[in-house]
Amino acid sequence: MDTVDQHTDSVSTGTAAVSVTVAEEAPPRRSRNETLYFAFRNRKLVIGLSVVTFFLLLAIVGPWLTDATPFEFGYPTGEPPSREYWLGTTAPGQDVFAQFVYGLRSSFVVGALAGCVAAAIGMTVGFVGGYRGGAVDEILSVLTNVVLVIPTLAVLIIVAAYLSVQSLLAEAVLIGVTSWPWAARAIRAQTFSLASRDFISVARLSGQTGWKIVAKEIAPNMSSYLFLVFILLFGGSVLIAATLDFLGLGPSQVMSLGLMLNNAVSGSALQLGMWWWFIPPGVGITAIVGGLYVMNVGLDEVFNPKLRET
Amino acid sequence: MSTQRTRRAIGLVAVVAALAVVASLTAGGAGAGPQSPFALPRSETLYTSGTAWGPYSSFNPLRNGYATGTLGLLYETLFRYDPLTDKFIPWLATSGKWVGKSYVVTVRQGVTWNDGKPFTAADVKFTFQTGKLTGSQYSTMWKTGLKSVTTKGNVVSFNFEGVPNYQDWDTNMYTIPIVPKHIWSGYSATEITTGNTDSPSKQVGTGPFKYGAGAGSSQTLQWNRRAGWWATKALGASMPMKYIVDIHNTSNTASLQNFLQNKIDLSNNFFPGIDKQVGGKIGTYYKKAPFMLSANTAWLVPNTTKKPLNDKAFRRALATAININQIVTADYGNIVAKANPTGLLPTWSKWINKAQAKKLGFSYSVARAKAILAANGYKDSDGDGYVENKDGSDINLRLIVPNGWSDWMTAIQIIAESTKDAGIKITPAYPDYNGLVDERNSGKFELVINNDKQLGNTPYTYYDYLFHLPIAESQTFANFSRFTQAGPAPWALTLKLNKVPTSNLVKAKKIHSAIQKYILEDLPAIPLWYNGMWAQWNTTYWTNFPSATGQGMQNTPSTWNGYLNMTGIDALAKLKKK
Amino acid sequence: MSRYLLRKSAIYLLTFFVAVSIDFAIPRLMPGNPIDSLIGRLQADSTASQELHGFFTESFGLDEPLWKQYLTFWRGLFHGDLGPSIAYVGSSVTELIWTAIPYTLALLVPAIVLSYIAGNRVGAMAARRKTLDNTVLPVAYVLTAMPYMWLALILAYVLAFRLQIFPVSGAYDFSLQPAWTLEFARSFLAHWFLPFLTLFLVAFGGWAIGMRNLIIYELESEYTNYLQSLGAPSRLVRKYAYSNAVLPQMSGLALALGLVVGGALVTEIVFGYPGIGSLIITAIQVRDYFLLQGIFLFIILGVLIANFIVDIAYVIVDPRTRTGIQGS
Repeated sequence: MDTVDQHTDSVSTGTAAVSVTVAEEAPPRRSRNETLYFAFRNRKLVIGLSVVTFFLLLAIVGPWLTDATPFEFGYPTGEPPSREYWLGTTAPGQDVFAQFVYGLRSSFVVGALAGCVAAAIGMTVGFVGGYRGGAVDEILSVLTNVVLVIPTLAVLIIVAAYLSVQSLLAEAVLIGVTSWPWAARAIRAQTFSLASRDFISVARLSGQTGWKIVAKEIAPNMSSYLFLVFILLFGGSVLIAATLDFLGLGPSQVMSLGLMLNNAVSGSALQLGMWWWFIPPGVGITAIVGGLYVMNVGLDEVFNPKLRET
Repeated sequence: MSTQRTRRAIGLVAVVAALAVVASLTAGGAGAGPQSPFALPRSETLYTSGTAWGPYSSFNPLRNGYATGTLGLLYETLFRYDPLTDKFIPWLATSGKWVGKSYVVTVRQGVTWNDGKPFTAADVKFTFQTGKLTGSQYSTMWKTGLKSVTTKGNVVSFNFEGVPNYQDWDTNMYTIPIVPKHIWSGYSATEITTGNTDSPSKQVGTGPFKYGAGAGSSQTLQWNRRAGWWATKALGASMPMKYIVDIHNTSNTASLQNFLQNKIDLSNNFFPGIDKQVGGKIGTYYKKAPFMLSANTAWLVPNTTKKPLNDKAFRRALATAININQIVTADYGNIVAKANPTGLLPTWSKWINKAQAKKLGFSYSVARAKAILAANGYKDSDGDGYVENKDGSDINLRLIVPNGWSDWMTAIQIIAESTKDAGIKITPAYPDYNGLVDERNSGKFELVINNDKQLGNTPYTYYDYLFHLPIAESQTFANFSRFTQAGPAPWALTLKLNKVPTSNLVKAKKIHSAIQKYILEDLPAIPLWYNGMWAQWNTTYWTNFPSATGQGMQNTPSTWNGYLNMTGIDALAKLKKK
Repeated sequence: MSRYLLRKSAIYLLTFFVAVSIDFAIPRLMPGNPIDSLIGRLQADSTASQELHGFFTESFGLDEPLWKQYLTFWRGLFHGDLGPSIAYVGSSVTELIWTAIPYTLALLVPAIVLSYIAGNRVGAMAARRKTLDNTVLPVAYVLTAMPYMWLALILAYVLAFRLQIFPVSGAYDFSLQPAWTLEFARSFLAHWFLPFLTLFLVAFGGWAIGMRNLIIYELESEYTNYLQSLGAPSRLVRKYAYSNAVLPQMSGLALALGLVVGGALVTEIVFGYPGIGSLIITAIQVRDYFLLQGIFLFIILGVLIANFIVDIAYVIVDPRTRTGIQGS
């Protein structure tokens, strides 16, 4: 059995060793009003949420604010930001603002989808392993470990290169299928501790089947935890997608922030001083991912009073 | 205790940072000082880039993929070819002519290999006989008429059976490097055909440079000037630089930065946007558009077995609907030139029947494209803005280029946008390189851009590329469009051209005209633009680079494989220290 | 303890086997024939091309049945022979990897080690002092949320292009060849610094945040309250807190390795650093089966070994594993 410390299980994504700490016991169900009260008073949550919401709104509304489409040519080449072209134009003559807002959309879509896929797999593996224990758990543990150790990006690079990813969905599935292990491990640890509790034994005695117990008793008790895991998966996926797009391995017909960086580098934006071409996409990615991570910590504090700084 | 360790950790980071700053102040930026005994003196070294895209691991000149300069600086050919005047320059051979069915070459006297041994006719015979080995790139000549190579004194006779392929033979004369028999007879057949012969002590050539350092490395390759180069005594030519250092590029943009910071003298990289930097210390062959010489043609290759691309009227409409000028200006900043409707490179202009090209060739016009479509039964019946096939099915042509070739990716986006106006729907796609090769070779593709055939001594290679028959299940090197609609005639003419001695201008011109008529009328492929022989130079340390104006300055300023043995060597020899 | 290590070894061996098999399978299951593009690049004439196609397919063993290629692959592995390269005909994969690996390791090892140490230290300090916390934390969040290639671009733009303090690309100055001289060492360091800094900064951010959160959690937990109520010096309390926090960070290290390796790849691309990253890109473009296989083998091996080292360190640091106390 893996030595899993019941008290703390640092769940880290790797790019951010942002830990989701697990309370000794699952926190007592508080009234929703109480949670919301603490939520709005938590600075990290507010800041993170605002940043993410701002960019989300920009992603939704942005395309309506401009006539240009991201792949369209014909604009003056290499113009710096001006009143007419808010973020300037690219070297071959495309509108950077249009590319930026459409790119934001892609980032959100891929992040959310990949997060869902990874969360789904992680939950399945984590719940089953954590609840059933025994041989099933051993096998799933080994599976998790194997997938965990293989460097994700390296595998994604090969597979994406060969499969020629052409849709956001395909990219999201690919990312989701490789980034679930840490989530599975964390969920498994939580499930373990919950499964040994009295109210689960009661449920079992009353004849409920495993599935129902997991769905009705365990998962709801972990809901806040699951949400935190999802947010981290979301953020991590946005980063991985950006890297894949930067390498030219993402969908080439859909504008994304990573693709903008790719084009900027190959269009010599650096050498020709076109900072408006490569700064905005990076700002977008950093802001979204950073906002999500900060939200994660803030929510963690809201759900686990022990972490709150008062 | 923990504060101690904290201090130590901070100290460590500080030390590293300090070290780096010190290092950079002394070694960064301008590079190691010229006074250093370990670094090369800047004023005696020519830095080049733009040719190597991988480690310098192969020094085998008999197989393409050799390290920059292997053919040209180290090994040499019997003749060199000047594409701008269409003349062959006697090099290791002093003369060559056809005598009946034999090509007789007089080998130059007084040439020594860089290990001191004399260069003789036996070396030439040995080299050409390696073409018989399995896996050799030069096997074709032995299969198309060459029967034996005999020597007598310093005269080599290449004896043919039947009518020789004259065009191909001319190409061989300036592309086959001569290797020393006394070293290469010790190699096995596999080593000769596919080995990399990278042992420095065995790199023996007749050329002006010998191996310096960098074999197997992935950053730079150094060539050192040798004493006793034959051309100094025979032709008064000498190389002004003691060292040539070629730089392996990891990306064009990294090279651009180094180029602008005076660390690269001659760059053969593709620098989009360089047109804005020309002037001052940056120079190119032409002082204004198109700035570069043309090196190959980018063709839009249609799959003529698929409808509607099997209809030559549709192909014509397609060609007429492409706004090529926008590609030239927006995508390339005018460092490429629009192609002639025959697709032949400007250096072949004496073979182009210009009147015929003017009369039959296509040019951009949305109105005319629409008219052609309408006149041939292509209508937009469902009102979506795009025409349909004659049988009513939708037309949506998939146009592919390799993923990562950003200028081509932009170009096909421009094509798709412009054909929209005439009502032809094109969808750009960017499969990875191998996927594209697979699609193209197997005939699964619809439209693809391709520029495989390069500048050379004869447009024969282009005709072969367009009309080669028979069509196999997998087309790997020519006739990707699987064009057979004009019957066997154009290919037969092409083969006929190969059998015409290049001295017979009148007969050759007639055949050229006839073949070009097929290109113009049938459009087996649509010529779009000429890719440049990318070359730009920084005159901070070296001047007197090739130029369109100036006596004797019209040389090919390129270190690309196959260009040094054109007039690249002349370009290098004429350089002057600043 | 030996049982724990034995388990871990078994898992790693299994992982190795699975990873190697996947490594072998993926390039071959994908569409496209590498010999076709090889022939295309040779630019030989028609007749020669046809003959060369068959010649190369045979000499690379690509005409043999898959299972035979698989066995040849494993056999070659044990001899340290990873096959010939298709992209650079004439060179062996092992040769190519050996020339590139030192550069990647030169970036990765210092970056991982230094960022881990520095990140943990700074994170722990930030957990204790509010003022430090308020400055360090936002910076660390921004750093860890940055994509590696973007930070690389910014550093390159500001420090190399605009201010010209550091060189923009390459591993050493063009006028030098690798040698054990002070000259070369200085040039190497100057070129190494920016890519190293990129990897260091992003990873640093992650560790700092992680450590800070863990320490705060530890400092709030029961045993620290108990110790404090007993009047224990705060240094002692911090020591216990730190030791406990280190454990999850260590297992996090193993996880992080995979992603820092990915970060190193893109950083190398931005800086034109001649390591494994640049080699991979070429190998993918040209569909060089053997080169890709070989590179990934190295990466997988490296990550597995590093994980194993971390596991051993974990065992040394965490007494519970030594005495076999299980966590559940």
